[in-house]
Amino acid sequence: MLRVKNIEKYYGSKNNVTKALDRVSFDVADGEFIAIMGASGSGKTTLLNCISTIDRVSAGDILLDGESIADIPSGRLARFRRERLGFVFQDFNLLDTLTVEENIGLALALNHEDPEEVSRKVGEMAGRLEIEDILGKFPYQVSGGQKQRAAVARAMVAGQSLLLADEPTGALDSRASKNLLEIMTRMNQSAGATILMVTHDAYSASYAGRVLFLKDGRIFNELLRGDRGRGIFYHEILDVLAAMGGDVSDVI
Amino acid sequence: MSVTLSKLSLRNARRQARDYLVYFGAMVMAAALLYSFNGLMFSEEILTLSKSMNQMPLLIVMVSIVVVCVFGWLVSYSTGFILARRSRELGTYLLIGLENRQVARLFFQENLVVGGCALALGLLLGSLLFQAMRAMVFALFGQAYHFSIAFSLSAAGLTAVYFVLIYLLALGRSRRRIRKTQICDLIYFDKRNEGALIGSGKKRRGLFAVSMVFGIVGALLMMAGDLTLGMVGAGCLIAFLYGFFLSFASAVPAFFDKCPARKYKGQRLLVFRTLTAKLATMGVLMATMSMIFTATLVSEGMGLVFRGIFVGRGAEKACFDLYIGTGGKEEIHREYLDYIDANISVVQCRQYSVYESGEARLIDYVKERETYNDYGYRGDPIIGYSDYAALRVLAGYETVEPIKDKYIIHCMSYLEGALKGYDEDLVLGGVALSFGGVHTEHFLQRYGEGNGYGFILVVPDEVAMACAVHHSAYAAKTSEPVSEGQYYDICAIREEVESRSGEYDAVYSKTAEEAEAASGTATAVFPLYFLALALTMTAATILTIQQLAESGRYKRQFDLLHRLGMDVGEMKKALGLQSAIYYAMPAIPSLLMGVPILLNLAKMPEPGIMVGWSSPAAVVGIAVGMFFLIYGIYILLAYISLRRNVLPEE
Repeated sequence: MLRVKNIEKYYGSKNNVTKALDRVSFDVADGEFIAIMGASGSGKTTLLNCISTIDRVSAGDILLDGESIADIPSGRLARFRRERLGFVFQDFNLLDTLTVEENIGLALALNHEDPEEVSRKVGEMAGRLEIEDILGKFPYQVSGGQKQRAAVARAMVAGQSLLLADEPTGALDSRASKNLLEIMTRMNQSAGATILMVTHDAYSASYAGRVLFLKDGRIFNELLRGDRGRGIFYHEILDVLAAMGGDVSDVI
Repeated sequence: MSVTLSKLSLRNARRQARDYLVYFGAMVMAAALLYSFNGLMFSEEILTLSKSMNQMPLLIVMVSIVVVCVFGWLVSYSTGFILARRSRELGTYLLIGLENRQVARLFFQENLVVGGCALALGLLLGSLLFQAMRAMVFALFGQAYHFSIAFSLSAAGLTAVYFVLIYLLALGRSRRRIRKTQICDLIYFDKRNEGALIGSGKKRRGLFAVSMVFGIVGALLMMAGDLTLGMVGAGCLIAFLYGFFLSFASAVPAFFDKCPARKYKGQRLLVFRTLTAKLATMGVLMATMSMIFTATLVSEGMGLVFRGIFVGRGAEKACFDLYIGTGGKEEIHREYLDYIDANISVVQCRQYSVYESGEARLIDYVKERETYNDYGYRGDPIIGYSDYAALRVLAGYETVEPIKDKYIIHCMSYLEGALKGYDEDLVLGGVALSFGGVHTEHFLQRYGEGNGYGFILVVPDEVAMACAVHHSAYAAKTSEPVSEGQYYDICAIREEVESRSGEYDAVYSKTAEEAEAASGTATAVFPLYFLALALTMTAATILTIQQLAESGRYKRQFDLLHRLGMDVGEMKKALGLQSAIYYAMPAIPSLLMGVPILLNLAKMPEPGIMVGWSSPAAVVGIAVGMFFLIYGIYILLAYISLRRNVLPEE
């Protein structure tokens, strides 16, 4: 589904260049749930931003279903984001003037979908994320976990094929984090959603089927869960983090 | 569910008006001001108060163009500021699949809604403001004011045109910015460090030192009272302003490094660190605010100076119902008297001569002590007692005792101090006269064809008649005020006389002079105050938006300090001090620049008319007072709002 080919990303000006990504390559198959881990400054958010078209790569290519996202003309980019990509941020990015229901359905409504169809899709997605009872509330009236589930609903309501999540549990308590991760797993397994999640947290990453470890802008290691239980996978992740040489506490 | 772009714009507009209430309020006031001045311009009733009022529309339009630019800048700055603050939200729109042009349209529409609401409310408020201004104009012309509900469609239409110009120009920029922007610029805008114009601390400290030198030199040059030096001084002060505000943020830490013990005194550390964090990135803006405040003070001061000129000149020239003074030594021309006999109901009148002595002793004495121009008098101006006494009756002044061996000086009030000290005996035509006192009522003493220039000696009739005639004059008291038409008829006679004799006579009527003073005040002063108000509102609104935008950060800071054990009373003091310094910083340099300019401006008109409420000290006092009255309202509102939003509950 997604192919990342030798991408590089540089920041800064001529005297102060930072290489955020250094020849990163990997493939993501349809329906995969991948976590990207690494310490602060390892390039994981930059990688996610490049895939999500928020940022542009300096070199290399990113292909989604065989189409290079760099070649998508700016006129089609909005439609591409609307139909193919869903985003979830650490701090939710919900619009505070809209109710939860309106936040979820906004993109559909603004693009002239039939209002009844929008309501149906929003209701269905809210049901899957267990937030039907807060649809009429404004973001400031609901908890962090509910906000994040609303953000996931918004990211998937238009049938987007790839969910990109940047530290989705970063602002949540452990209970809300667990709840969200279980829902995301369910979305991945039952609805076939492809998920790419950036996280600091080994516990969150243990919900994924595969974990990519980034260090200094490069892929340092890759860990497949296979048929192992989540507890074992969690400890394996910790082992890799320890082997990476960094302070484990930095990424737990 | 049917959220459309328009509905979203409306909701966002409502939120914008609530979150940026100061800005919204300023735009309502902007519309009200524009409407009320346009109302004056389109009011037949006002324009026909005097022929001189026909200049008013042109001046109001000219000032309105400047005001539209000023408000355009306010809208442009504020929308740019709001855009930056809401960049993450706008980025989210892009992220969920909206196109840049849709987001640009959304932002454009919500600002148009805010502008439209401000316009509608402003027109309502403007109708009341127009009534207040109408009352002021009527009071200037000494006419009775009656409240009447009136709404001028033309004024409202022109106000709407101005508003469209303001918003289209300002929002066009935001629209272009959104259309070109990248998602990452919006999503991560609030995570970026703000850039300071001058990065290195060493450079900043150097700049601070240089700017202080410029400031001191500039202030000294401004005080010198010379126009050229004053202009150089103003240039130095502008350099000081920008240098000071660009470098202030690094001067404070440098000071704390040198005097570490001082930084822990009271709330000093908290106040100055908070301030420097704010000012580090808004140096250019603060300097610009200071420039705007200076322009405000100058505009208000100029208004007061013009008012002083019109009122001062008017009062001096309007002491008789009708006055004619010949340009030459001959008698009053018959044509004038025939016209007056036929058309004007004269109660009392006097034809007389103004003389001049062979010596200019008093002129020289005055010249040594005061600014004085003899205006064509080679000798001291003189009038006979009988004529003087009759003129006092015509002007409605108290009578004076007959004089025998004495002389009286009647002078403009500004010469009173100097002439009271002149108590020497005079010998005129061989008669010795002793000093008999000074009178200072308005006595038409500002022109050569009046009763002397600045002063006149009142002497016994026989002494006066022995002197050479300077010119002849006619003064009258009428039962009905001389109408504007009658005044212009007499002026037409003057043109005929001038074409025949080559002499230009002076013609003054109380009503014409009062009307000219009133229309001059309305025409020149109102637009200058209009400009001053627009400038103050714009600068104070921007400063307040900046200050209130930090509410969230301040709240977090004070919550933390509360947890660390800081008393709420101490926090109030710190917040008050920080607000006071923040608002004083752009105002103090503007006072340093503005006050010398105002003092020089107030000294520019001819001597003797800028007295009382128009004296230089009064001009400075009133202009500064008016500025701080408006500015103070903003400071108070911002402080109350900050206290409510920022401080933890006791």
